[in-house]
Amino acid sequence: MAAANQDNSRPQNTRSIMVFLQAHAPFSNMDDDHLAHFAEHSTLRFYADGDVVLAAEDGVVNRFYVVKQGRIRGERHNEKADKTETTFEISIGECFPLAAIVGERPTRTLHRAAGDTFCLSIEQDAFITLISESEPFRDFCLRGVSSLLDQVNQRIQTGAMVSMGSSISLSTPLDRYALRNPIVCTPDLPIRKAVALMHENNVGSIVITDDNRHPAGIFTLRDLRTMIAEDTCSLDAPVRQIMTKSPCCLPATADAFAAAMLMAEHHFSHLCLVDENNCLIGMVSERDLFSLQRVDLVSLARTIGTATHLRTLVSLRTDVSRLVDAMLAHGADSGQVVKIITTLNDVTVRRVLELNIQKNDPGIPFTWLTFGSEGRQEQTLLTDQDNGILFQTPDGMTEDQVREKLLPFARTVNDELAECGFTLCQGNIMASNPKLCLSDREWDDWFIRFIDASTPQNLVYSSIFLDMRAIFGPTDSLDELLAKVLSRIQKNALFQKMLAGNAFQRKPPLTMFRNFRYVTDGNKRSLDLKRQGLAPFVESVRVFALANGIKSANTLERMDDLAQAGVFDIKDANAWKDAYSLIQAIRMRSHQEMLERGEELTNYIDPDDLNPLDRRILRESFRQAQRLQQKLEVTYQL
Amino acid sequence: MLKQIKQWIARHRSGQSGSTAPENTPTPKTPGDQLLSECRLIVLDLETTGLNAGKDEVIAVGAVAINGGAIDLSDQFDLILRRPELDITETVLIHGIGPEALTQGHETEDALLFLLEWMNGDPVLAYHSAFDQKFLEKTLKAELGYTRNHTWMDVADLLPAFFPDAPTGGKGLDHWADFFGLEVSARHHAASDALATAELTLIALNRANKSGLKTLKHLHDKLRYHRRLQSIHGV
Repeated sequence: MAAANQDNSRPQNTRSIMVFLQAHAPFSNMDDDHLAHFAEHSTLRFYADGDVVLAAEDGVVNRFYVVKQGRIRGERHNEKADKTETTFEISIGECFPLAAIVGERPTRTLHRAAGDTFCLSIEQDAFITLISESEPFRDFCLRGVSSLLDQVNQRIQTGAMVSMGSSISLSTPLDRYALRNPIVCTPDLPIRKAVALMHENNVGSIVITDDNRHPAGIFTLRDLRTMIAEDTCSLDAPVRQIMTKSPCCLPATADAFAAAMLMAEHHFSHLCLVDENNCLIGMVSERDLFSLQRVDLVSLARTIGTATHLRTLVSLRTDVSRLVDAMLAHGADSGQVVKIITTLNDVTVRRVLELNIQKNDPGIPFTWLTFGSEGRQEQTLLTDQDNGILFQTPDGMTEDQVREKLLPFARTVNDELAECGFTLCQGNIMASNPKLCLSDREWDDWFIRFIDASTPQNLVYSSIFLDMRAIFGPTDSLDELLAKVLSRIQKNALFQKMLAGNAFQRKPPLTMFRNFRYVTDGNKRSLDLKRQGLAPFVESVRVFALANGIKSANTLERMDDLAQAGVFDIKDANAWKDAYSLIQAIRMRSHQEMLERGEELTNYIDPDDLNPLDRRILRESFRQAQRLQQKLEVTYQL
Repeated sequence: MLKQIKQWIARHRSGQSGSTAPENTPTPKTPGDQLLSECRLIVLDLETTGLNAGKDEVIAVGAVAINGGAIDLSDQFDLILRRPELDITETVLIHGIGPEALTQGHETEDALLFLLEWMNGDPVLAYHSAFDQKFLEKTLKAELGYTRNHTWMDVADLLPAFFPDAPTGGKGLDHWADFFGLEVSARHHAASDALATAELTLIALNRANKSGLKTLKHLHDKLRYHRRLQSIHGV
């Protein structure tokens, strides 16, 4: 920025436009000369509130715009509802139209000024010059918003890599991944014997070396499969006839990224590692490089599932957090990560239950239920216990007698889960609460009352009890219960409307002017990503899911199912899924950062701590939540 | 800008574009039926050594052109004149132009000729235009013997004419810029002030167009009428 200011050979107004542009993507990544080209070829136009800036009738788009002041609203006419809907908003520093100018077609959306607005724009000629000369600009325009999403994901990944140290990063020298002393044989060994050697050593490949230990070829199980299937060679032939000659080699000092690129480029699944004399010292497989996190997940789950002491389980929680880092670093999306956290949490809960049954069996079969975020399989590292028990009363016992046996057991389990990091539920929504340790008949009664009497408290509970899942014990009785609950809700329009009204209360944190609306308590500016960011999605989606008999409790799956059922437009569903996942990703990253600083985990963030790109993505995600709520509003006439 | 003016001077010295005489510069246009949505308007701001047109001098000229209702940044003028002999200590604080920057300026005569050619005889708008008009005409006469009159319009009249009830809290450029939420990159820099003035002009022209006022002549008349009303009411 300073460079542009000091450059006195350019007119003041050109410089000031460059400085303006530099504060926004993609201009922040562009060279000064390209920014100057933009500035010098731009015109500045004014649009009063409500003026049309760009419309389909204008024909093929021949200008590219950046909002300098004010806002632009995208409007599309909804044929069904016969009304105009705002499809997007473009504010200061943002560009439009991307798809239309790149596709050399008219825009499909009416662009209208929202408030008094100034836009800078360049003609197609200048646009093409910039596209061809500036790589960041080209990237941005050709990939459009998806490239913004990529940038956010990239940043989330980079951040996670830093926090992991270099242990799993792709810049780690290869020799850390490499298998030392790989299985080798001479070129003259019969194939049958080479395969026997691989089998004995339980490996999928063998390196064929010459007398000086230089790699001459490589033979893998995949080659064997091809050979047998295509009958190209006899098993008694020497391995040199079938091996892949001159295998890919890299020095041990090369990094994992180089190896990954080489493998991806040539579709090799194995690479030889050689020393400075080209002698074989090791071997790297694709699996070694790419499935580290999967191996960790599997082995971690196994370790948790077989732990014999509570304290082992407690200590394994740090590994879960480390795994989350690794997952994010390897590009797993937030949907995958929360599912994995939930899976590991499930394993932990099951193990705690199993250990307690071993020590002190209550003697009565039961189903352990989870509600809320765990029920939806959407847990992050910050998680409360929301659980309950469903049982079938054995003959000759009353329900209270069963509870007498189950409640002390549940109490111990709740306490031990708390030690493992699952905070005790402040609302006492736990299995040790007599009101939540019920027989199948009692649960059914409970839900009938719940649905018929829509008290305010019940509506608060709806976010917990209507997202329910069994994680331990028989599941049949829960399936029956759920089917009854769903059909009751589907028949009860009043309950649906009250649920919808309740979901509509949770407004995304945006002001009328599309700025962030901050939580008011305290003097710190903060947003609650869970209650203000995710909840509007979760709650609205739940209403649609329950009303349409969707069985899944997971918000992303519910959206998929609703799109399949034709309740949601597929494009809308995808936009909402993206938005929801991005808020979730930003929330998880901030949790990881808090952990690293040794702070208590909260769902609050200060948007000022985010970079401009994340802020913008976050704002757009909240706007998607508003659109989803508008759908709720229209559907239920709120 | 520098490159542009050097090329222009080189062209002139080699005699490619005819005589450099001021009388050969484009003839000033009078306000007629030119459509506001099509014509070219100059928005200009001068920096001077002081407020007294009798003894103070022009230091810098900043101007942008409005073409077809949009500010065209490929068509702008941003130049510091060569005035090394002047004592500018009084105003140097306001403008931020030190003696050093001034000596890097251009031969006044060349710069003014280039300005006239660039202006192309088009109507000139400025904020409190009487001030800029007086200084520019004086300078043109003194340096080039140029006496033809351009059409001048005052943006300080234009805004209240179209936004009579706007609670700006004052009549200055800053008041209006604040009222419309404009960001002025470097206040008191001639080019930057010219751009802010041009942005305000766009806002007024947008309003003019909506009220059915389409031609330069109509606009000119409306301003004259507005001024007369004001003098009657003694505002």
